[in-house]
Amino acid sequence: MSAVRWGRGAAGFGRALWPAGTPGLLAEEGALGGVWGRKRSSTASPCEQDRRKDWGHAELLEVLKARVRQLQAEGMAEVTVKRVAKRVAVARAPEAGGAQPPRQAPAGAKGAGAKGAAATLSSRWAQKLDSDQQLMEKRKQRLEGKLQKRVEKGAWQKQLRLEPRLLSRKLASQLQHWEQGAPRSPWEEQLAQLLQEAPHRLSSEAAAAPADRGPESRLEGQQQRLLSFFECCLLTGHLPLAHHVLVTHHSKSQQQRLLTLSMYNMVMLGWARQGSFKELTYVFFMLKDAGLAPDLQSYAAALQCMGRLDQDAGTIRRCLKQMAQDGLQLQGLFTAVPLSAEERAELLRAVRKAKPTFTPPRPPVPPPQVNTSPLLREIYAKDPAVSYPRLHLSLKELQGLFQQQLRVEMATTITVESVEKVPLLTKEVLHARKTLAGLRTRWRTALYRELQETKESEAHAAREGRLSLFPYLCLLSEKEVVRMLLQTLQALPAQGESLLFLAHELGLRVFKRKQLRNEVQELEQRYSKYLHLLASDTQVAEPCLPRQHWEALGVPEAPHEQPWPMSVVVQLGKQLAEVLVRAAQMPSSLAAPRSPGTLIPVLYHVYSFRSFRQIGILKPHPAFTQLLETAAERTLTFESTDVPMLCPPLPWTSPHSGAFLLSPTKMMRSVEGSQQHQLLLERCPPAELHGALDALTQLGNCAWRVNGRVLDLVLQLFADKGCPRLGVPAPPSEAPRPPEGRRAPNRCLLPEVSPAEKAEMRRELARRLKVAREMQSLRADALYRLSLARHLRHRVFWLPHNMDFRGRTYPCSPHFNHLGSDLARALLEFAQGRPLGPHGLNWLKIHLVNLTGLKKRESLQARRDYADELMEDILDSADRPMTGRKWWMEADEPWQALACCMEVARAVRAPDPAAYVSHFPVHQDGSCNGLQHYAALGRDSVGAASVNLLPSDLPQDVYSEVAAQVEVFRRQDAEQGVQVAQVLEGFISRKVVKQTVMTVVYGVTRYGGRLQIEKRLREIHDFPQDFVWEASHYLVRQVFNSLQEMFSGTRSIQRWLTESARLISHTGSAVEWVTPLGIPIIQPYHRDSKVMIKGGLQSLTFSSSVDTSQKPNTLKQKNGFPPNFIHSLDSSHMMLTALHCYRKGLTFVSVHDCFWTHAADVAVMNQVCREQFVRLHSQPILHNLSRFLIERFCSDPRTSKSIWVSRLMDTLLSVPKTGTFNLEQVKHSTYFFS
Amino acid sequence: MWVPGVGLLSRLMLSAMTRAGRFCILKSGAVRLMDVPAGNRRGLSDYYPHLMPSVGFGKSSSRVYRCRSETKRYITSPRVAETLVRILRGKRKSCQLFLECNPGPGILTRALLESGAKVIALESDETFIPQLKSLGKKVNGRLEVVYCDFFKLDPRSRGILTPPVMTSDMLFQYLGIEAQPWSKGAPLKAIGILPPKNERSALWKLLHDLYSCTSIYKYGRLELNLFISEKECRKIMANPQNPSLYQALSVLCQIACGIKLLHTESCLSFGTYTANGQLAKQKHRESLEQNLCFIQLTPHRNLFAGTLTPFNYDVFFHMLRQCFMKRNAKLIDHLHSLSPIDAMHILKQIKKNKDVKVIDMYPEDFQHLFETIECSKDDNYKWLYDDFMEDVII
Repeated sequence: MSAVRWGRGAAGFGRALWPAGTPGLLAEEGALGGVWGRKRSSTASPCEQDRRKDWGHAELLEVLKARVRQLQAEGMAEVTVKRVAKRVAVARAPEAGGAQPPRQAPAGAKGAGAKGAAATLSSRWAQKLDSDQQLMEKRKQRLEGKLQKRVEKGAWQKQLRLEPRLLSRKLASQLQHWEQGAPRSPWEEQLAQLLQEAPHRLSSEAAAAPADRGPESRLEGQQQRLLSFFECCLLTGHLPLAHHVLVTHHSKSQQQRLLTLSMYNMVMLGWARQGSFKELTYVFFMLKDAGLAPDLQSYAAALQCMGRLDQDAGTIRRCLKQMAQDGLQLQGLFTAVPLSAEERAELLRAVRKAKPTFTPPRPPVPPPQVNTSPLLREIYAKDPAVSYPRLHLSLKELQGLFQQQLRVEMATTITVESVEKVPLLTKEVLHARKTLAGLRTRWRTALYRELQETKESEAHAAREGRLSLFPYLCLLSEKEVVRMLLQTLQALPAQGESLLFLAHELGLRVFKRKQLRNEVQELEQRYSKYLHLLASDTQVAEPCLPRQHWEALGVPEAPHEQPWPMSVVVQLGKQLAEVLVRAAQMPSSLAAPRSPGTLIPVLYHVYSFRSFRQIGILKPHPAFTQLLETAAERTLTFESTDVPMLCPPLPWTSPHSGAFLLSPTKMMRSVEGSQQHQLLLERCPPAELHGALDALTQLGNCAWRVNGRVLDLVLQLFADKGCPRLGVPAPPSEAPRPPEGRRAPNRCLLPEVSPAEKAEMRRELARRLKVAREMQSLRADALYRLSLARHLRHRVFWLPHNMDFRGRTYPCSPHFNHLGSDLARALLEFAQGRPLGPHGLNWLKIHLVNLTGLKKRESLQARRDYADELMEDILDSADRPMTGRKWWMEADEPWQALACCMEVARAVRAPDPAAYVSHFPVHQDGSCNGLQHYAALGRDSVGAASVNLLPSDLPQDVYSEVAAQVEVFRRQDAEQGVQVAQVLEGFISRKVVKQTVMTVVYGVTRYGGRLQIEKRLREIHDFPQDFVWEASHYLVRQVFNSLQEMFSGTRSIQRWLTESARLISHTGSAVEWVTPLGIPIIQPYHRDSKVMIKGGLQSLTFSSSVDTSQKPNTLKQKNGFPPNFIHSLDSSHMMLTALHCYRKGLTFVSVHDCFWTHAADVAVMNQVCREQFVRLHSQPILHNLSRFLIERFCSDPRTSKSIWVSRLMDTLLSVPKTGTFNLEQVKHSTYFFS
Repeated sequence: MWVPGVGLLSRLMLSAMTRAGRFCILKSGAVRLMDVPAGNRRGLSDYYPHLMPSVGFGKSSSRVYRCRSETKRYITSPRVAETLVRILRGKRKSCQLFLECNPGPGILTRALLESGAKVIALESDETFIPQLKSLGKKVNGRLEVVYCDFFKLDPRSRGILTPPVMTSDMLFQYLGIEAQPWSKGAPLKAIGILPPKNERSALWKLLHDLYSCTSIYKYGRLELNLFISEKECRKIMANPQNPSLYQALSVLCQIACGIKLLHTESCLSFGTYTANGQLAKQKHRESLEQNLCFIQLTPHRNLFAGTLTPFNYDVFFHMLRQCFMKRNAKLIDHLHSLSPIDAMHILKQIKKNKDVKVIDMYPEDFQHLFETIECSKDDNYKWLYDDFMEDVII
């Protein structure tokens, strides 16, 4: 009867807000055979649209009821069927209503009456029963019991629970009291009283709840799942469902423990938005019942709701008073709680009723936040006035570009024509295409159907109180999901894709798409204003950085949404993958022409084994792959975020806003599934991040264009036979053919061929297949890059940047960017040109020689002269790259060298080379940049000299020097009669040690170093191969010793860092630090935690190393710290250089320790680069680090007694001593970056 | 990245590394695209859940080199040695050639030599070698001692091989033994004790070698006489009549070889040594109460006479491993993920009803099933398996 009561209650409220109230009736509807005429009109949710599953249930009810009827007819004729049914319904009511039946009954007089009547009825029956009918009665009862259970269960499935079951008796009786005793008393009254009740039980969650945001909080997986479930429900408008699940969880003490304040708040907020006060009060009851203390958000929700309902002042006043008693500030409602404009208005309306004079604090006008880092002082200094660079495009052009980019992002994917040869449109091809099109239409329909069925069953699960995927499945429109799945099918490689990978992809895709922002109009206006800063033909009042300008144009954006827990992502993706598997079918005639025309699946779930473990793989039917191949549809589809942007990216203003127009992008590409970086960044005062934000913005603002001539040449090669030597992969047709494929194993079946021969054939086949596979994967990579390049040809584009967890910057678009191979780099040039000026041509020539890899140890002058000597070859290469002398092909970086040849040729042939407008980026490389930072940190004189921190006439080469040092050691040993040392005579060269020296900075171990050296030694043909193992072992030891000798400071710093990290990890924390630019960094290495997702096609198990609730992985923390720390330094150096170059009006981009700019500006950039290096290292970096780590890890009084902490303290206090190197000398070192 | 048709094949091998994601290199050499740093591959999120199952490769290679710390069993009792010689030699007096793996202190070696046989001793523990060599000097050339680990011949991870790990080619060339055709008998008999810690992987490796006709089996149908724990022995000899022991290994062993149980001996009669030839104390009582079975594995002469050949054996392996993963499931369910051919049709051909379970199938039934699918005429595509899914063992 509860439903009836609800009807009244709601009616008394003057508005029927409770959509799911009707489903409550529906349960009875089924039982009564449709007596109630009223249909659930307000529940539009798809979960109820199709109730096929319930039919079976209803049928069973029908049967049971008939049986009851029969029994009754035998027992007593006067009891009507209707009564029984009614009784059944009545008896059900208390059960459905809540755990405490007494408080249910009096809710409405009618309900109580009915119950009473039922009781008398049954006693009357009992009296009337004859003894011989007792048996019958028992049977009847049993049956009725069954029936009742079914009905209950049915109701349970159908009815969304609204009323809470409270665990605290006191609260429960209060609720009951209010409900029965004062039916007229408004709910508001009760809420006000309820608020006054102090939380009588402070549970552990209550203590933990305020810390929810802190990085220390360890939301368990379950809690995260719950929270994201509620969030998703709210987002998709399934609030009653969220409420239902909340109530269900609340009513079981085991599950209640999972609920946190933010979950109650979220549901409450949902009700507040709808203005449903009673439901809101229910949540409040539960919140109290859970022993949680309401916080600002809870009050904001309550007040907002009151505002909407236009409540009288008294209640609101009491509410506010209570709030003050709880120690919460009224102002806080407006500052600390994220609200939309409309919500804000309602909230204000409520508050104004009680306090007519109240004015909300202004939205926190971003105070003139100033970055305090001494390194950045100059960057943000207002004087001297600076003129920042502008783009070469007019406002109008840029606005047009913005529209283009907007269209791309709104479509979420972009289709690009592939650069593969277009096939001849034979009948076969056309037929295949037609077949495919037909199949796709069929799949679309099937996918719709499957998706709906899945949704239905998930909705069903949700109604049973489980955390199902239902709200997630409702996030995207069915059309969009279907399109996504079809694309997945299309992109599935022939050899299949691991189910886990696929599931993760799909899940993430849904998550990303739901995030797309929707205030396009607002964005458009703001962006248009923003362009005034960048366009060539506009003015701004005051020169400022893009971020500053953007911030000045509007309020900061609402905080971003929390990512979903990994398990949800994978589970959702798996569900979708299963939909795809079920839906995709094709006629069997495609596979076997003579087979009957039945449908067979397109996707198969197969297993592969890795050692003793198995991996589930989804694999397309070979016939389908064949069909795709035949159809040869030459298009590639990319996600819109995987391609460069067509307009300048949004400036980075916070860790989660910037880059793409609509798709949210994270500033720090942290490891998926971990939030620790994001939490750190969010906690960080915004001004501290300015350096990083501005540097990333600046790197992303560089406009690019495609070098058309080089692209043409490459495409020509690509379409022809490729040229692996030049990095153009060959087409599959060049791959070695399988001798006799598995598909035609005639010879392999011949009995006269011996087993050994067959084994040999198999090996040969395997070898060829392997080569073919490698070629194919290289080819595919090049295909994406070249297709994108051709797509972007004749356009200007931008590469938005973000950074990894150490602060190293990367372009966001993965396939086509300036970070790639030689070929990839050669395809790009600056869209903006600059006249070469007096020295530009020289720098072009020097750059060209650098690209050849020759003359590495010669002075700049010598390199330039060398270029002049070779001018004939250079011009020949530029004019006849493929037919001439092909000088460029011999270079280390042939394609870039060719591009440079062409640029040099154009420049020298220009009437005035100094006025020639060049778009060509010239690079300056740090020589062993990691060691440079180490040498500067340790002020190592010897080391500094060998990595060019000291001015010198000729560039120093650390690799040769290490090799020389190793040779010294070797000679000594050889004299001592060490055999290996004697064998190695004459084999120690720069090349042998180079890789090891380079990587030693980044933490290569002896083990890895030995493998590297072993590889080199194997390449030397006349080296006695028997000695390789021993020799490599010996050499790696000597390399380490030599480095120790030369970079004594370096090794001690490395050791200090390692030891600190080890101890920090032992205290149970991950290593954290802050870069000199103020970026907080945390190492995401934890012990693996395993997550298992059961059911469906297969159980998926994956492990994640980013779970913060796991202990840190000491080995990784320790080994990772030194290289990561150095990377954070080199990124700081790069960012400083970038910012200063921007201030000087230069175009600047970087590939980590390789800096790019126009030829005309190389000298300026070099100067900035050196100055900033000196500035950076003039900071007491290691002492700052030590201070920070002590503060962070040793200051907690609770742990200070721990042995690890005291040892850590000792270690941290003994910062390594530095040498005597004078840093200022770097400023004059020509070859520091060259 | 939505791209039709052309796939990056390397994707499949999800890595154990969190960051490299899909493009990592694993054993069979998918190519790592060096030009783009791994972190850069996927724009915004560079994390892929790494499969736990994928760690296999790395381990295998390092395990090969860790051999020195393993414990090994050796025959220490002269009584056992005599029994074995009696079993192996019978009443023959002819000069038979035996390959003894890890003879250790050489008790059996001595007994064999005394019976007039020729012995090649492959010893993986350097400490025993001088002793064995000195034994060799006394029997004028009938004993050859090689520092070699029989159970680690031809490791999958080809890198540098340092003794005792070597290739069979190296070994057999050194011994001057010629390869014999499969139909001929075996050039020698091998005697050994399976390494107690990883009997199963050793067996899998042997079976792989056998079915692919590589490694030692390249030199002929080598007969193995092995000590194996009773538990494993019962497993490899199991069939549907003892379903709890029945597994893929049983099928493979029984299809490939004739298995004969020659002798059973208590563990107590063996000595267990750790590295450096130290006699280890036997700690676990259970392991002592166990018996070791001495079995003879003789590869069938007609193993490759039918459809199953070294060319396609891997499909057979894959089929069995897949089937025995869920041993109690119906065969028909497995067929769906093994072959695109209509499962009912296949079942009809092998004359099994549709409810037949995996554990109801005798080894010959599996062979028949394999041959049926492999020879099916109608369909172009017989297996869903491809080389990409290559099983990797050990």
